[in-house]
Amino acid sequence: MSPISPSDSTIRLALSSAQLRQSSAAPSELEEEIIGLFDELRNRLLRYVLSFGLSSADGEEIIQEAFLALLQHMQQGRSRHNLRGWLFRVAHNLALKRLSGNGRRRDTVDLEAMGAEVHPDPAPSPEEQLAFSQRQIRLLAVLQALPAQDQRCLRLRAEGLRYREIADVLGMSLGSIAASLARSLARLGRADGR
Amino acid sequence: MRSEYAHRSDEELLRFADGELSSRNVSQVNTHLAACWDCRTRLRQLEETIAEFVEVHHRTLDAQLPPSAGPRALLKARLAQPPAPVLHSPWLQPFQRAFASGRLAYVGAMVLVVALGTSIAHHFVSPPASAARGFRGTAGAVPDRRLTPGVAHPLSTSEVCTMRYSDDTHVVPASVRQEVFQEYGMAGSQSKDYELDYLISPQLGGTGDIRNLWPEPSSLDGWNMRVKDALEDRLHQLVCRDKIDLSTAQRELATDWIAAYKKYFHTDRPMEPL
Repeated sequence: MSPISPSDSTIRLALSSAQLRQSSAAPSELEEEIIGLFDELRNRLLRYVLSFGLSSADGEEIIQEAFLALLQHMQQGRSRHNLRGWLFRVAHNLALKRLSGNGRRRDTVDLEAMGAEVHPDPAPSPEEQLAFSQRQIRLLAVLQALPAQDQRCLRLRAEGLRYREIADVLGMSLGSIAASLARSLARLGRADGR
Repeated sequence: MRSEYAHRSDEELLRFADGELSSRNVSQVNTHLAACWDCRTRLRQLEETIAEFVEVHHRTLDAQLPPSAGPRALLKARLAQPPAPVLHSPWLQPFQRAFASGRLAYVGAMVLVVALGTSIAHHFVSPPASAARGFRGTAGAVPDRRLTPGVAHPLSTSEVCTMRYSDDTHVVPASVRQEVFQEYGMAGSQSKDYELDYLISPQLGGTGDIRNLWPEPSSLDGWNMRVKDALEDRLHQLVCRDKIDLSTAQRELATDWIAAYKKYFHTDRPMEPL
């Protein structure tokens, strides 16, 4: 799979030789550190970004941009406090930007579109039909009916973020995170009429 | 205080399960849970719903995750190239807004203001020996990089150039001030000679983060706060006239503002105030 090529014009890298690097040698410590973070967080970030309804290719680009922004952030000697939260925040905003740029304003995962991407065959096989239990299908329906902010709260929490980090990513108050999660879980919990 | 017999709300149970309660509240909830089958059942239901959600979250999205080897190699190659001015691209603007609404809300308690000749109140003491003597020298005039690397909001040039700061009020919370002075080993009551200053000035996007604040000797004859203020004004002008990048201005303030002053004012010594 090669969703992105270095020449992809959608990632605009204005490379400037005037911008000095601290080290032009082999992988610097900084690069190693960023790659380490990539290994650790790439899937989580990508899953989160994909939950906006973006394609895998768009998602991959966003992740690349986020990590390149991280490089610059760190080279400028900026705060190294909570880089995970920082990355999610950048990826979140890139995803929003990409959505509006695409003229798509889907705030939820579009099940049908997703089915089309994952399973191009319009007639799902019996295995695929069995892939989701009735309960899970109901859960998905409830999930998608949740307000976008509540969904994102849940997904960020599912990716391991603490409430403070979620609040920072979504621009919400810390106190409202627990309320949002509890509200959403109550709705999800009732998905089977429990 | 609530009785230990009172049932806990779902929200509180969730915060309990997520480790987001204070330790005092944790022990109260524990006591209650031990006694209350109702709340224990609700907690278990919450956990079940979480487990179901997590499974759906993964099953709907994991299939779309391409292998990471390719993107990883690509990132590696890009990291090895000269840095791109990523943060100033227009696509980061929603980020900045979110940042401003989220993070600044916290900072909002202190009015973000800067510099420009205004001094920040200080109750601190016993300056480090190295900082105490700075006559015509630079000792103490530049912060300790490890303690004060400089922190800026990811603002765009246009945002920085349209922002309005009032110069007359600036309150850094006493707790933060104290922390900064403690960090610098000043804990007494002799701080008259020091003023808390922003390393990267707020007019150039600098934050009220402790890593952007340091006790600057105000009594230096040479490289003092007034001189730095002049540089900040100059850099702000240059940035807003597109003569230099915002990130360059921030970096130069953060790395060695005295060197930056010499460079931009074409002089080796601070000029007399106007």
